[in-house]
Amino acid sequence: MECQIDLRALTGFVSAWLLQFAFCLACTGQDELQGDAFFRERIQPIFAAKCLACHGPKVQKSGYRLDVRSIALQGGDHGAPPIVPKDFQASLLLQYVSDRDSDLAMPPKDSQQAGLTAIEIQDLTKWIAEGAIWPESASAKIEDPMDWWSFKPMQKAALPNAEPNPIDSFVRAKLLEHNLIEAPTADARTLARRLYFDLIGLPPSSKELDTFELESKNNSEAALEKLIGKLLSMPEYGERWARHWLDVVHYGDTHGYDKDKQRPNAWPYRDYVIRAFNEDKPYSKFIEEQIAGDALWPNTRDGIEALGFIAAGPWDFIGHAEVPESKTDGKIARHLDRDDMVANTIGTFCSVTIHCAQCHQHKFDPISQQDYYQLQSVFSALDRTDRKYYPDEAMQTQWLTLERAKSDAAVALEQLEEPLRKQAGEEYVALTKRIENASKANATNPNKGAEFGYHSEITSNQDAVKWVQVDLSKVTEIYRVSLVPCYDDFNAIGAGFGFPIRFRVELSDDPSFQNGVKQLSVSGQDALIRDQKNPGLVGVSAEPAMGSSIAGRFVRVTATKLAARQNDFIFSLAELQIFDQAGVNVAVGREVTAMDSIEAPPRWRKTNLTDGIFPEPTTVDDKASLLLAREELLLKSADEATRTRRSTLLARVEEISAELKKLPAPMQVYAGGVHTGSGTFVGTGASGGKPRPIYVLARGQVTQPMSEVVPGALSAFEFRPSVFSLAQDHSESDRRVALAQWITAPENPLTWRSIANRIWQYHFGRGFVDTPNDLGHNGGLPSHPELLDWLATDFRDNGGSIKRLHRMILMSKTYRQASVSNVDGERVDSGNTLLWRQNRRRLEAEAIRDSVLFVSGSLDKTMGGPGWQDFVIEHPEHSPHYEYGLAAPEDSKTWRRSIYRFVVRSQTQPWMTSLDCADPSMRVDKRNESLSAIQALALLNNGFMLTQAKRFAARVESESSDVAEQVDIAYRLAFGTGPTEANRRQLIEFSKANGLPYLCRLLFNLNAFTFVD
Amino acid sequence: MQPRRSFLWNSGGGLGGIALASLLAKEPISSAEEPLVQNTSAGGLHHPAKAKRVVHFFMSGAASHIDLFDHKPELVKRHGQPSDFGEPVEAFQNGLGPWLKPVWDFKPYGGCGKMLSDTVAPLGDVVDDIAFVHNMVSRSGVHSAATLQQATGFLVPGFPGAGCWVSYALGSINENLPSFVVLPDHRGFGSNGVKNWDSAFLPSQHGGTIIYPGRPDPIADLFPHKAGSFITSKGERQAHELMKEFNREHAAMRSGDSRLEGRIRSYELAAKMQLAAPEALDFSTESSHAMKLYGLDRGAQEWGKEINAEEETFHFGQKCLAARRLLERGVRFVQIWSGNDNGFPRRNWDSHEDVERDHGPLAMGMARGCSAFIQDLKQRGMLEDTLILWTTEFGRMPSSQGGKGRDHNPFVFTNWLCGGGIRGGITYGESDEWGYKPRERNKPTQVYDIHATILHQLGLDHTKLTHRNNGIDRRLTDVHGSVIKELIV
Repeated sequence: MECQIDLRALTGFVSAWLLQFAFCLACTGQDELQGDAFFRERIQPIFAAKCLACHGPKVQKSGYRLDVRSIALQGGDHGAPPIVPKDFQASLLLQYVSDRDSDLAMPPKDSQQAGLTAIEIQDLTKWIAEGAIWPESASAKIEDPMDWWSFKPMQKAALPNAEPNPIDSFVRAKLLEHNLIEAPTADARTLARRLYFDLIGLPPSSKELDTFELESKNNSEAALEKLIGKLLSMPEYGERWARHWLDVVHYGDTHGYDKDKQRPNAWPYRDYVIRAFNEDKPYSKFIEEQIAGDALWPNTRDGIEALGFIAAGPWDFIGHAEVPESKTDGKIARHLDRDDMVANTIGTFCSVTIHCAQCHQHKFDPISQQDYYQLQSVFSALDRTDRKYYPDEAMQTQWLTLERAKSDAAVALEQLEEPLRKQAGEEYVALTKRIENASKANATNPNKGAEFGYHSEITSNQDAVKWVQVDLSKVTEIYRVSLVPCYDDFNAIGAGFGFPIRFRVELSDDPSFQNGVKQLSVSGQDALIRDQKNPGLVGVSAEPAMGSSIAGRFVRVTATKLAARQNDFIFSLAELQIFDQAGVNVAVGREVTAMDSIEAPPRWRKTNLTDGIFPEPTTVDDKASLLLAREELLLKSADEATRTRRSTLLARVEEISAELKKLPAPMQVYAGGVHTGSGTFVGTGASGGKPRPIYVLARGQVTQPMSEVVPGALSAFEFRPSVFSLAQDHSESDRRVALAQWITAPENPLTWRSIANRIWQYHFGRGFVDTPNDLGHNGGLPSHPELLDWLATDFRDNGGSIKRLHRMILMSKTYRQASVSNVDGERVDSGNTLLWRQNRRRLEAEAIRDSVLFVSGSLDKTMGGPGWQDFVIEHPEHSPHYEYGLAAPEDSKTWRRSIYRFVVRSQTQPWMTSLDCADPSMRVDKRNESLSAIQALALLNNGFMLTQAKRFAARVESESSDVAEQVDIAYRLAFGTGPTEANRRQLIEFSKANGLPYLCRLLFNLNAFTFVD
Repeated sequence: MQPRRSFLWNSGGGLGGIALASLLAKEPISSAEEPLVQNTSAGGLHHPAKAKRVVHFFMSGAASHIDLFDHKPELVKRHGQPSDFGEPVEAFQNGLGPWLKPVWDFKPYGGCGKMLSDTVAPLGDVVDDIAFVHNMVSRSGVHSAATLQQATGFLVPGFPGAGCWVSYALGSINENLPSFVVLPDHRGFGSNGVKNWDSAFLPSQHGGTIIYPGRPDPIADLFPHKAGSFITSKGERQAHELMKEFNREHAAMRSGDSRLEGRIRSYELAAKMQLAAPEALDFSTESSHAMKLYGLDRGAQEWGKEINAEEETFHFGQKCLAARRLLERGVRFVQIWSGNDNGFPRRNWDSHEDVERDHGPLAMGMARGCSAFIQDLKQRGMLEDTLILWTTEFGRMPSSQGGKGRDHNPFVFTNWLCGGGIRGGITYGESDEWGYKPRERNKPTQVYDIHATILHQLGLDHTKLTHRNNGIDRRLTDVHGSVIKELIV
């Protein structure tokens, strides 16, 4: 909705009008104020009253403001300076305020603000005419966007007091400032339960709690250290913490958008993240692998699987697969695709909101549009695609070596053959085409007679509609129709000659097909809206949609997108077979009519369509002989040396191919990569992964490209050059390596703060900054900036070990506090920002689900591999429907941990969603914590909960048949501790009245099950 | 993180209020955000409201403005002539055959004399209450992105549906029912599935709750799954009592945490919803007049295999009647979908192949249901504070595709609004003589303007209803939109 007004036309009109003012001004000259005083007394009040609401300190529409001198004079987003000192005719500002009829009138016509008075315009004109004098002292200062805590270098401050743990030291200092004290240490059982959920996302057994309680009595520090060590070394730790990471990178197992196709190879990335946490991979390596692992560690499994990061987010299948890059909608889809990659990378690792800068300079943070597109250019060769690899390092090395050798040989061969092909000319092209057709149909010239088929008239419009139909002479039950393609060597087309690219097959009793038209479906595919592959000589079937029969007298084939012939288009068919239930072709000899037809017997005529004569794909054209012929042709002009060299190269390719064949089938991971495709989704593979040119887009519109950019990062930061120094012939992955290393630079002020803040959040329920994806101006301020910097630098300088950071946090007294409230704390800091207690937390969807399975004894701890699915897929061939309601909750394949769930984007799992599970279409830095009736119903009534309640009961029953004992066992399994005596009595009574499964369901639904102190 | 909601504090209340209280309690003391000014004279809203509720009809697949509402005599005249748009056109499937006249004839209706297609004739009875907008444009011609834009204001997934924002702003009138209800097409979801109405970054209770009227399980998990055969009504009473008692004891030892009480309350509401929802969806108390009005008097039938008007009328009417009953009982926002995804055979409005075959039955069912719904609301005095929006993702081309179909037209399409302080019997914004682009190309209407107008009628300033996510104060209208004054009484 941009205003496209011809400014020049406007200028002429307004200038004439303004001249009159200037004239008046010259005559009167009655104003005594001059220079600075005139500006302060006459001009600034106009701006203040009529302009600053939209162009002032708070709002800057079009990036323009009239309180800062430099911007007022230079202009905002739209370029031309609005105020030209001494030249009021060239000053657009005057035109905007003068012409109230213009669409560009300022203040805008539809605003509440009245226009300028004649006197005000006169003053403004005078002011500009006299040089637009504006003293610097009367200009507001532009806030320096770099003057913000997170953009400044990190500082490791001295500890403020003698507390041995730096965390306690900083937290205590802050509490003392506010006259607050820490809460008492949580009791051993509470602390252990908290640690289990924090680190592995599963509850402790009562026995484990007993042990810890006992050990704590002897030596609480040692007991704690031991428990933390144990939990951190459990594989369940990686499963728990990888889930946090997958929230942030918005991982999913389907594409999302329309049709929401599955990604069967997304999971290796999920497993990589689990492994990385369990192995305590150094954070900088973790980052670099996810952005450029293929370039930095090409032979390793992690180096490839980690690239799943780039492709983790949603993908617009239709926008890529059905719309080419040449169309505006195709461009938008690809732009948004790169936008997701850039936002994911910078948002995840640096915690700033880069995507704001795609339309304009970031309004709050020091990020320019140029920066944004420089980052897009880093990913511009990539698409989301399946990447092949071998998890075994030796095999991966061997495979890469062979692939490289093969591609080298292919390049050499290409260089050698190119001049020869040129020499061979048109004939070579024709032969190649025949070979292609031969491979398609496995046959050439298979015509059985001179009667080829029906042939429409020729048209220059591919979208012209043509039809041909058969009259069965009476209403007939039809079970199947077969469209048999023609064969004609014309223009070396061969098999499938004239076969339509899009078409429909219909049945009616009305020869004009106006009434009672029934459509037949072409092998489940919508041949009308999707281009069909040429079938060669294989007949294409059309059947009644429901798989039964339908009845009618006329069968019509309507082509809506025609096959190419030479520089024109036609529709032809060899035979239209119409089968009844017994499989008899009832069309033979029946009358044929057509919209138009070339009647050139015997080859082409309408009646050929039902003459029973058609080519069959049985005769084997000697493809080999064609190949030989072409080879001969190619080598005609070659000398002996060339021939020898060519044979050697061919032998080499053969040899390598044989070696490659010996390797087992590779694995695949859905990842960022150079895609080689066909149709509209071609990728950059054909150009060897050459990055697409990226331009700054005016207002983010793909239709308005401006200057081309080179790859780079954020220019406001000076610790590294923001434009990457890359060789002229650099490869696309060099760009990603450069970005990864810019992010992991020790001086990067964002990276280390970002991760320290995230880890802290998952231990306290709140980060120092409560907006972990945004440390910029729009995010919050840190509650403990010195502590955050201390932890961030300490983390960076000690190998980026996340487990080490966990230990430091978990061993602190701050972490170990009870979550109880007190009056002082509530009064001073009800949000507990200062950490005068621990925060009680509601468990996430995954932790609740996993705990239910764990407590019921159902949890299958198998790690890794394709995700389990708790839905049934209907209509998989087109738009899959993921039907959760149809899945059986008794299916033990779904009893694995929630991280292994197959995550669907368009149809999120309803039960998990009601518990605020992360939306895989969004980059989630912090889970919502909602409470609703729908959530309560999900926990009470969902098949999963009820099935597990029964299994829980069965588990308890297997241990005791005494109701009182059963109550005790069940309660201990659920909460790690026995019930109070009063509660025990109530539960026994309930169990007796309603049964043990009912009791187990009740325990799952208690607040104590969902909240962790 | 959400002090911006505090201005709505006294209008929301209920469960939303409880969750909000706990969120507010967690407000960091270092927060730099300023709460919005509270306009107490407007009942906690930005300004006095004209409408209290919204109904959103969504035609999935892109309904043809040319064949339904936007009368183009020029197309009738030029029918069959090669199409010429006067500029190069990028169509989704390059379906730019000859001009194709509307499949149905148009006739004038009502006091306003609005020309409507025969296939939406039932809307003629209420046309004097309807305001048409014929110059809508979409930013995308791809179903998924365009559907998201009309439903959430954004082209990419991850943003709350319009109903979520309304629920977030206004809360519930009757907390025994969800505040935002979605009635999907009975055959399945349209493009993007639940992404068109889920809560995204807003608290989950504001997401659309899916209801299937006429099914034994109209809301997921409303009643126990069959695995819970051990559940009895007596047991439920005891269980709820015992849970409440245990949870109260648990909360008593953990003072100062309102979430614990909030969760107790959520279980009470769940029990109430188990009674309220089936009652709301029980048509047995409806008069035979009403059942007839909605085309439900013959009940469900064995429908034919081919798409047909009777079946569409039944299913659409069922949703319309359910919507009226839900609105009567305090639901804020109901979204009704017609048409599912692009599967085969076609059961949505994406008529590339044959407008008559798909649009005919779908439009007749839609028009009958919408007309009955509007008449019914009017009789009950509910139309004046219920705002209705009819939309689709984009329009269809005035040229033919494959003879009988039409390709996508993101360049212009039609919306209509009704009730809730909307001026009836008017047309605002026209398309050009072909129905190809807006008549005034530089003054189109966008979904942002429609959303801004709806929020305005609800007493909300679309620029002030914000929620901060990943560093941006997000709005339903992004950074766009103006209230269309001409549409408002």
